[in-house]
Amino acid sequence: MVDATMPLRRRRFRVRNLRFWIPLTWIMMLVLAALCAPLIAPHDPLAQDLFLERLPPFFMDGAEPGYWLGTDSLGRDVLSRMIYGARIALFVSVIAAVSTGIFGSTLGLLAGYYGGWWDRVISRLVDIWMAFPPVLFAVLLVAVMGTGLTSVIAAIALIDWTRFARVIRAETMVQAHMDYVDSARIGGARRFTTLVSEILPNVMPSIIALLMLEMGIAVIVEAILSFVNLSISSDDPTWGSMIAEGRGAIHFAWWVLLFPLITLFLTVLSFSTLGEGIKKKFDPVLSS
Amino acid sequence: MTTQPHEKTLEIRQLNATLPNGMRLLRDVSLTLEPGEVRALVGESGAGKSMIGRAVLGILPSAVVHSSGDILLEGQSLNALRPKTRRSTVAKMSALIPQDPLTALNPVRKIGPQITDPLVRIHRWSRDRALKRALELLERVHIRNPERVINSYPHELSGGMRQRILIAAAFAPSPRLIVADEPTTALDVTVQKQILQLIRELQRETGTAVLFVTHDMGVVAKISQKVTVLFAGRVLEDAPTEAIFNDATHPYTRGLIAATPTPNATAEPFRPVPQDLIAQLQRDTQAEDMRFYQGGRK
Repeated sequence: MVDATMPLRRRRFRVRNLRFWIPLTWIMMLVLAALCAPLIAPHDPLAQDLFLERLPPFFMDGAEPGYWLGTDSLGRDVLSRMIYGARIALFVSVIAAVSTGIFGSTLGLLAGYYGGWWDRVISRLVDIWMAFPPVLFAVLLVAVMGTGLTSVIAAIALIDWTRFARVIRAETMVQAHMDYVDSARIGGARRFTTLVSEILPNVMPSIIALLMLEMGIAVIVEAILSFVNLSISSDDPTWGSMIAEGRGAIHFAWWVLLFPLITLFLTVLSFSTLGEGIKKKFDPVLSS
Repeated sequence: MTTQPHEKTLEIRQLNATLPNGMRLLRDVSLTLEPGEVRALVGESGAGKSMIGRAVLGILPSAVVHSSGDILLEGQSLNALRPKTRRSTVAKMSALIPQDPLTALNPVRKIGPQITDPLVRIHRWSRDRALKRALELLERVHIRNPERVINSYPHELSGGMRQRILIAAAFAPSPRLIVADEPTTALDVTVQKQILQLIRELQRETGTAVLFVTHDMGVVAKISQKVTVLFAGRVLEDAPTEAIFNDATHPYTRGLIAATPTPNATAEPFRPVPQDLIAQLQRDTQAEDMRFYQGGRK
């Protein structure tokens, strides 16, 4: 009987691993590219060369060696710009997701565990907050705070904390009714201690999964804001601004639009898939 | 904390608990527990058995808006204490053996700290001393390889093992009072017997008073010296176990005993507590509620 079940278990194991390792590899590649951008980028991302404008990627006729993914309307190397764009994308996504996560999870934990007025105030705030169209909200915030990375990060955190607050509140409420919470209280633990040392570790897998999802969302929001020119100066290479520029030239230089778009898509997909995978790995019950 | 030997371990006086919608969970419940005594709380689901245990331990659900009456632990009135002192007093003197061993241990924490935490936190023991005590008790509850178990996560252990661990954890700080909230209900029958045996052994060794919540009259007969029969949050009968089984005064108690299936009488049809008796009790309770609310008591 043991023999009969073995191959089944092994196959399931492998599929789950693939779902974990492929996105992880992609993200690690991005991180590496971002960290070593000056070393691996073949060209200066800002260098313009009007003699080399709109060169096609390497697999097409008329490609110039060294310009792997072609050049844009100003003759800037698309690959180099994408590599430097990864720096900004990852920086924004990590900082924005972590600050969003800390802010939203804290409110979610408080609302879910203390209930009463905490819950009433925080839940109403979440409801009101979510009634606002997020992109409009982001544009509004950046317009008020001025453009720049700090504003982009602040905008993401201020808009998306509700996602954490809602999910973590619900998770906390489930955990708060478990007997082990009562046991801890009978064992003399104070409410805050119970929340931090008993409940928080149990909602941690959800927080991490959300964090990964949030990183993906942050990449998109940053791209949207760069697309409408509200992120950082349009000279700096971001995926969003590349997509915006590529849009104008789509009929004769589609690669300027397509490559950053694919990168963006894969990155966001990887983050959300990785979130699920990590959640499973962190959970002692699910992972065994 | 000075304790006179004649002091009652637990005394509940006129305990009431009400939900926001006015539904009464406990109605003037009074009972006492002498040192070293085991008292069974019996009754059907919703009779308020667990609620009494929770009230003693200070973990009533937050939905219970109003409760009155007083609880005395070794003569110390809990009403007289400020919430903080109350919590530590209860924690020092009492412990819980919970109903469901699957949810009563935190799934992401190792067994060791879950047993030692209260010892360190409340009794101010050193980590080493607490760990030694935990190992000693795990051995006492017949767990082989306590060193390994202490470093395990709950999901690596069986339900029976976990219930043993919870018993060890409850007895570890040598409490005066243990509330056992249906500790055998979630286990299968073969394990139930061992667990019951274990609780009785440890209780006799340590002389801890136990408030044993159950709905199983068979368990009552095995473990308790006194029985409190509850219906709809009201004490129907309070008597020594022998008296309850030999000649219960209340017809509901007699019904409960008669409803207990016996292994050697399989041919005998199952006899539940008569419906008209339950209906009568419900009418009584409603009438009493009417008096309660019209009487203008708070």
